[in-house]
Amino acid sequence: METNDATQDRVRARDEAMRLLNRLTTGAAVSAVLGVGLFGAVSAYTIPGTKTTSATASASTTSTSSSSTSTSTSSGLQSSTTPVTGSSSSGVAVSGGS
Amino acid sequence: MSNTLLWYTTRGAGAVSLVLLSAVVVLGILSVLRVQSTSWPRFLTAGLHRNLALMTLVFLALHIITAVVDPFTHLGWLTAVVPFSSYYRTFWLGLGTIAFELLLAIVLTSLVRGFVGQFAWRLVHWLAYASWPIAVVHGAGTGTDAWSAWLFTLQAICVVAVLAAIGYRFIAGNRDPLATARSSFQAAVDRREPK
Repeated sequence: METNDATQDRVRARDEAMRLLNRLTTGAAVSAVLGVGLFGAVSAYTIPGTKTTSATASASTTSTSSSSTSTSTSSGLQSSTTPVTGSSSSGVAVSGGS
Repeated sequence: MSNTLLWYTTRGAGAVSLVLLSAVVVLGILSVLRVQSTSWPRFLTAGLHRNLALMTLVFLALHIITAVVDPFTHLGWLTAVVPFSSYYRTFWLGLGTIAFELLLAIVLTSLVRGFVGQFAWRLVHWLAYASWPIAVVHGAGTGTDAWSAWLFTLQAICVVAVLAAIGYRFIAGNRDPLATARSSFQAAVDRREPK
């Protein structure tokens, strides 16, 4: 009988350890998923990337009227009254790196 | 999914992968040392070590996939498998590729341990000691957040934990409870060998 009790104790201990293993694995998986979100948020807060807008394009609306013809354009880029000069800065940069 | 979200996910998954990999290394060392108690049997350490290793691969895959599909860097899939093939931060990204492939070799040989044999498995498993520091150097060299206080602290904790485990292993020495019995048996067998 004592041998049976000892065996039962070992079986119970093993089952308990297996349950603990499952709980720890599940906890680690959940923590890891939350960790990706947390570390992602922290990294976004510390180094969010740069967002600069420097290049502009001007669009103008030209309307020409006469007694016999009427031409109207309200979209698209038209020749600007101010000269366009070269720009060394880039447009928008919001991502990159690892 | 926006480019920015991909970038943040890459960085978050990289940090989590480092933590998981460090935990796997520490558990592996504790497994060798046969650490156990009444509430913590030895197979629990080995089981957790195996499960976390597989989990590390999942989060490493997330780290790699989000980095590759991020259109800003145009890394390309070749970078993920061929070390030092990236035009972008060639050396540091190459280290990451090597660390990933070493870890992949360790996990795959562990899954088919019965086929490759104990000696080959142990030989490949020693690569873990190379994979982890290479991964740490990759993170320190290429990570956008490498010198951010939070990631620096995280890396420091991981390094200290692994170094402490390695140090403990050296101090504890051989914890095999049958080592003496094996030596005595081998000595007895040697004595009975015919001259």
